[in-house]
Amino acid sequence: MEYIQGIAVLIGINLIAVLGLSILTGFTGLFSFGHGGFMAIGAYVAAIVSSRLGLPGPLAFPAAILAGALAAGVTSVFIGKLTLNLKGDYFCIATMGFGEAIRVILNNIDYVGGARGWANLPQLTTWWVVLVLDVVCVVLVWNLINSRHGRNMVAVREEELAAQMAGVNVFRSKMTALVVSAALAGVAGALLGNYIQFLRPTMFNMAKSTDLTIMVIFGGLGSISGSIAGTILLVSLPEVFRNFAQWRLVIYGLAVIVIMVGRPQGLMGGVELTPSGIRKLLAARRARARLEAELKAAEQGGN
Amino acid sequence: MDQFLQQLVNGLSIGSIYALMAVGYSLVYSIMNFSNFAHGSVIMLGAYFGFYSLTALGVPFSAAFGIAIFGTAAIAVIIERLAYKPLRDRRAPFLYFIITAMGASIFIDNSVIATIGPTPKTFPPDLLPAFLQGAPLEWGALSVGRIDLTIFVVAAICLAVLMVFIDFTKLGKAIQATAYNMKASALMGINPDFVIILVFAIGGGLAGVAGVLYGMKYQVFPQMSAITLKSFIAAVFGGLGSLPGALLGSLLLALIETFVSGYLSTQYRDLFAFIILIAMLVVRPSGIMGKDAEDKA
Amino acid sequence: MGEALLEIKGLTKRFGGLAAVNNVSFRVAEGSISGLIGPNGAGKTTIFNLITGVYKVTEGEILYQGRPIHNQEPFRIASAGVTRTFQNIRLFKNLSVFDNVYTACHLSARYGLWSALLRLPGFAREERQMVAKTRELLAIMGLEDRQDVSANNLPYGLQRRLEITRALALDPKLLLLDEPAAGMNPDETEQLMRLIGEIRQRFQLSVLVIEHHMDLIMGICDHIHVLNFGCTLADGSADAVANDPKVVEAYLGAEEEAK
Repeated sequence: MEYIQGIAVLIGINLIAVLGLSILTGFTGLFSFGHGGFMAIGAYVAAIVSSRLGLPGPLAFPAAILAGALAAGVTSVFIGKLTLNLKGDYFCIATMGFGEAIRVILNNIDYVGGARGWANLPQLTTWWVVLVLDVVCVVLVWNLINSRHGRNMVAVREEELAAQMAGVNVFRSKMTALVVSAALAGVAGALLGNYIQFLRPTMFNMAKSTDLTIMVIFGGLGSISGSIAGTILLVSLPEVFRNFAQWRLVIYGLAVIVIMVGRPQGLMGGVELTPSGIRKLLAARRARARLEAELKAAEQGGN
Repeated sequence: MDQFLQQLVNGLSIGSIYALMAVGYSLVYSIMNFSNFAHGSVIMLGAYFGFYSLTALGVPFSAAFGIAIFGTAAIAVIIERLAYKPLRDRRAPFLYFIITAMGASIFIDNSVIATIGPTPKTFPPDLLPAFLQGAPLEWGALSVGRIDLTIFVVAAICLAVLMVFIDFTKLGKAIQATAYNMKASALMGINPDFVIILVFAIGGGLAGVAGVLYGMKYQVFPQMSAITLKSFIAAVFGGLGSLPGALLGSLLLALIETFVSGYLSTQYRDLFAFIILIAMLVVRPSGIMGKDAEDKA
Repeated sequence: MGEALLEIKGLTKRFGGLAAVNNVSFRVAEGSISGLIGPNGAGKTTIFNLITGVYKVTEGEILYQGRPIHNQEPFRIASAGVTRTFQNIRLFKNLSVFDNVYTACHLSARYGLWSALLRLPGFAREERQMVAKTRELLAIMGLEDRQDVSANNLPYGLQRRLEITRALALDPKLLLLDEPAAGMNPDETEQLMRLIGEIRQRFQLSVLVIEHHMDLIMGICDHIHVLNFGCTLADGSADAVANDPKVVEAYLGAEEEAK
């Protein structure tokens, strides 16, 4: 039971980061190689606040999480300002560099343990904390996506030029997506450190970033329920297939290619597993069937 | 002064490797307008091809080199055909290409880890050609490792050949034309598909050379693909899409890294690539020799 | 007709050594439908791109409501009331017809990011307003029974109509249409002509159209500007332009094709 609870907590923690990345990649169409770096910032800042600042008991953890999210968010503003006005490749390379830079910097700061790591962090993350934060984050992300800000992000993903012509401040949309995703990654990092009670820079390298992205992709770009499903699947699978640990990533890599080439909508097919989402899907199907029938009738009528 | 020259030599050596990687990447970028983030894995495969040709197959060194080059060229083309072409045909968004490249990279890197294993391999010195064995060459107080010298010479030759090919041959001009405007070149009778395959093959081949040289200088290990980050930064530094820029950026980046490492501290060396990148983005995003970096209509 | 809503003065755009647009000047009067015609490559879409801020101007000025808008950010120009359609349709392909227009209504709402995240009071009301506006636009443009169809599943003619609808969602005062009749047969072109006239009337806006279909241009345009190789060839009323020998000569080939 405790074993399952452990996995559930890990799913819950990763979910927050994945939700953020879903906004950035799934809904806005920006690819980041460095979200591990934002998680790292959140984790280490939170660890400092929770264990080194000597804040009163119940205040320490919320303050730590908030600090972690804030630090990650503010850092992302710098990256965003420099690269979001340029072609997509610049953002990718910058996030790649950023992730690596954070790792190198953290490796060299002895105050937080350096490369050897920082052990004996307080265990403040409980099952309940994670659950509550998960619910809050899902609601916030849902609210964002189903607002004009969220729709603008999707417009940027679909046709950036047309979005501009439709009055969308593309830079601001991208920046919003980046900052929100970075802050959420920061929250996840803060929760992680105070759960496994240990932090080490290599935990947040590019492999972590790509892991998160894979969860978004498996679930399907542009679907929150997909991201949830993807996270559950990909965090629990390694536990199930322990024996095949080495081949796990080989299969994931291949799966990503197959998904992008064959079924980019992933598991959920871009559909939300909610009443409104399913209604929308059915309405679209019906409307399309009707349209095709009408076109066919018109064709035959003409003959 | 002696230390300065020594650092210069080190810098040029690693810079030559970066240059091979960066030029291969920039070449594909200039045609396809997309960053092949699987490039690093191809480089890594090149090192392994070279290593195993030498040790397991027992062929002479130059043959091992050749096998590595052809092997990586082939792999690069296979990735293009299987992973990128279907996306291109469907006119998939830019994002899909990056994701697929990431997938290919993860697949290749971890296949090597799962089969061969993560332990680094070293090129056995006794299997290397005679001129590579033996003590470093000495010129006064300057000591140049034989491998470093070889790296510089091989890279210089490869890049010179590439330059001649691009600037003076018919195929090379076809590549230039396609890089400039794919649709127009197609209308002129240049088969874009053929050019794409050619460019990926050349990029792959260069990656193979870079991989073997890197493997010789350091070691052969599956996480080698991480080194390509340096080459991406070098390419941005020199100007994305510009081949001379990639070369210049690589050498400059390597020299800056080496001098920082030599005179300041080794620990922050890898950080400097990122600092240079940020500085570039602040001051001149199009790079030293680049054109417009902004989104065009 | 009224004052000049849009004024282009000495507009020049150079790409490297080539002048795609060379010292072009013309005005779009308020409430008018103006045409911008010329052979392929004459620089028409480039002018649209300059007006909407996609390209920076090399020389010259673009004045909208008397104020310069050239070299501004595209989204600012769009929110000021200048919207457009594209030659190669650029719909939000994976979104439904409804969502394409709904998204474009975003400027009709005022709520900020925190209002959206926390669903503060104004949010629901403004969302309802946007939904109502979308439904109304779709009804006016005859797309309401297709509203759930994915944009990429629409037949070509309806896709073009959807693009115009999306452009209207921003309450523009100047609507730029880039070859709206491309690929249409005479019947559809006729419908489109009437539609553009109705839009002008109903939404009280001005239109600038790039077109090759001469019947459409002659049928609805109050004023025409003719371009050739980036330079002005002729400028005037439909009749004046149609009888201008320079235009006839430049278009002789095009006329034969259109027949």
